[in-house]
Amino acid sequence: MSYFILQILPYVTMVVFTFGLLYRLGRWAGARIVHDITLSPFPQSNTQVLGIFGAELIFFRSLFSSDRALWVGAWLMHMALFAVIGGHLTGIYFLGKQFIYIGTSENLSEQLSALLGTTMGLIMFAGLLYLFYRRFAVAKVREVSTLSDYLHLVLLLSIVTVGNIMRLWEHDLGITYAPVKDYVTHLVMLMPLPMTHEVFTRPFFVLHLLFVQILLMIFPFSKLMHVFGMFAERWIINRVYKEPAPGLPNVDVQAARRAGLGLPSSEGGV
Amino acid sequence: MPKYKDMVQPVRATDEEMRHIHIDPVPDDEKCEKALQYLDEMRKKFRSFVLAMESCVKCGACAENCHTYLGTKDPNNIPTNRAELIRKIYKRYFTLEGRWFGKLVGAEDISLDIIEQWYSYFYQCSECRRCARACPFGIDTCEVTFVGRQILHWLGIVPKLHAHVGAAMERVGNHTNLPKPGIVDTLEFLSEEIMDEFGVEVPFPVDQPAEIMYIPSSADFLLNPYTLMGAGMFFTYIGASWTIPSTVTEAGNFGLLFDQMFTQRHNVTRLLDAAQKLGVKKIVWGECGHGWRAAKMYIPTLADRPVRWPITHLHDEIAYYIRTNQLKLDPAKNPKPVTLHDPCNYARACDLIENLRTVIRASVVDFREMTPNREWTFCCGGGSGILFDDPEMYQRRIQLSAKKAELVRATGVGANGDGILCAPCSICKAQLYPMVEEHKLGVEVKGLVDLLGRALVWK
Ligand code: HEM
Ligand code: SF4
Ligand code: SF4
Ligand code: SF4
Repeated sequence: MSYFILQILPYVTMVVFTFGLLYRLGRWAGARIVHDITLSPFPQSNTQVLGIFGAELIFFRSLFSSDRALWVGAWLMHMALFAVIGGHLTGIYFLGKQFIYIGTSENLSEQLSALLGTTMGLIMFAGLLYLFYRRFAVAKVREVSTLSDYLHLVLLLSIVTVGNIMRLWEHDLGITYAPVKDYVTHLVMLMPLPMTHEVFTRPFFVLHLLFVQILLMIFPFSKLMHVFGMFAERWIINRVYKEPAPGLPNVDVQAARRAGLGLPSSEGGV
Repeated sequence: MPKYKDMVQPVRATDEEMRHIHIDPVPDDEKCEKALQYLDEMRKKFRSFVLAMESCVKCGACAENCHTYLGTKDPNNIPTNRAELIRKIYKRYFTLEGRWFGKLVGAEDISLDIIEQWYSYFYQCSECRRCARACPFGIDTCEVTFVGRQILHWLGIVPKLHAHVGAAMERVGNHTNLPKPGIVDTLEFLSEEIMDEFGVEVPFPVDQPAEIMYIPSSADFLLNPYTLMGAGMFFTYIGASWTIPSTVTEAGNFGLLFDQMFTQRHNVTRLLDAAQKLGVKKIVWGECGHGWRAAKMYIPTLADRPVRWPITHLHDEIAYYIRTNQLKLDPAKNPKPVTLHDPCNYARACDLIENLRTVIRASVVDFREMTPNREWTFCCGGGSGILFDDPEMYQRRIQLSAKKAELVRATGVGANGDGILCAPCSICKAQLYPMVEEHKLGVEVKGLVDLLGRALVWK
């Protein structure tokens, strides 16, 4: 079973994820931007357009103005998520020694990596729990939720919970970076691992990977597509609109006022 | 038919009335099949619609940013749930997850009941786009309402009000069915009124060769005369060579609101014909929110020929003459406290925000901003022409305007019962005239150029 999840399923996952994504994005691209539906704030230059994209991506600016309570949870969860994704990539690649490039010792770098990873994992867990709680507790959110909305959060919470367990009880239940890097390298190079490799003996690691793969497989067929949806939608609504110049043809207000236009003839008008 | 299984619905056009607007209603036993066919066409065409179908995370941020949910607490009036009325069908027939996992992702088979739900809830949405502004991704439920109403139109389901307006537009070129003699008479009458009240001579040229073509809202002829008078006074004051075309005395375009194909395009064609025939150089648009959106944003993609005429809004022009110090204005002529209702179509769809303030500040003494305002303005509740008069829908209109009423009250302009609520949009005016009474706001509703006209100093 572990062998299947770690050695065979990943290839299925990548195929489903990649083709699913292409299929979905292809459908979006097939439909057109038919009319100009630019929405406020009307940017005046492409630099400002970039500014809007950036502020939405980094600060969730619209959400900040429209629903502060959601913003707190969603923003924390996403920032932790971005950090965790970044942490996985660098941590595994550099074996936790990535911070030596900013001048720390190897030992300190490993400690920092572990500390940051644990903190972000816990923040993300708290954020998700809060989003989950909202789905039950806040009437308007309950009213828009379907079963799949709850299940998404359950799946994410499962991934994060298992991840956090591996972090917090690293020596008993977790795994170190080195075997994971070895595993990923083999996977990418399409080389099988011996059945005795350490990764197969770590049940929480196997579980973590199973959940992540389920997430990636449903990704193209779920609301997780909002990651791309945001850019696609803002591409339509946040763009530069050039106004025609004001000023009416052949109008000379001073001359009109001198001539007293509109004033009754008796008062010197025309 | 003002109610169907506990849903309010506007009175609908008869089959005969539908034929006047070029639609043969689809019989009930074919409606579901046809609805799916039209939905399929729409999803392949409009990306904005597809994104609303496929990338909403159901976060609920749009809910309390929509005045219809705030006013009715009806869950189907939450923007994403309004979209869900179509999304559940879309998922069922056009997505893998919906076909395979149905219930789990909220997919549902189409039925006549669902089509009736569309009719109820897409005609409570005022297409104001506050949900799009609020959504973290900018998902625009207005686009879903557009698609929903278009499909309903093709099925033969349109409110009587909208069908009448569509037919009138085709017959005489305005929404109120006013023929040319009526237009000319009314304008002569307005000239006399201006003479009596302001002591100035203001002619209203109709169909004259001119440099500028002015497109007033037809409601200004009967319901908002001071708006038309104000525009006439402005053009006379600056000595413009201007004219009103008798073939299009309508700044609005109900096509945007229920049929963006034939009805909307027909109005555009009419406009361009008039501009060509009268040989004008510029087109100036009157006070109408959805109409300005339709003109500014849709004419380029609906025109059937190159558009040679720059099209600007009256208030863009007035603001320009104020900024360049060419108008002499006396704000003391408008001494009452004034607040401004930003029409959503101006603010969110057309970027007409700052210029309104330039005009109002120069024209009145005591101007007070509403909060929220500008691009975060709440709709008056009548947007997209949902100005229905039957008792059930009228009650709904009161609920839909509740949020706006609360904001107007908070400005305090009506505290002494002599405030002014400036609403430079015909639909806003038509909605707010009765609503300020229903909510006892102590304000009178006026257009913006009304105030400017009054403030002009002629000598
Ligand atoms: C581009 C800017 C983004 C914005 C504005 C944004 C916003 C949101 C919002 C508002 C939610 C709803 C939370 C809720 O369930 O109540 C959400 C959920 C989520 N987002 Fe994002 N997101 C963005 C990008 C991303 C990215 C890049 C990822 C992943 C790589 C991501 C992953 C998720 C996940 C996993 C959820 C939880 C889904 C669920 O509730 O089932 N998001 N996002
Ligand atoms: S705010 Fe946007 S993403 Fe959130 S529920 Fe509404 S439409 Fe969906
Ligand atoms: S367009 Fe306006 S009325 Fe319609 S759903 Fe959005 S916020 Fe509500
Ligand atoms: S009627 Fe006025 S307030 Fe309401 S949608 Fe139109 S512009 Fe907006």
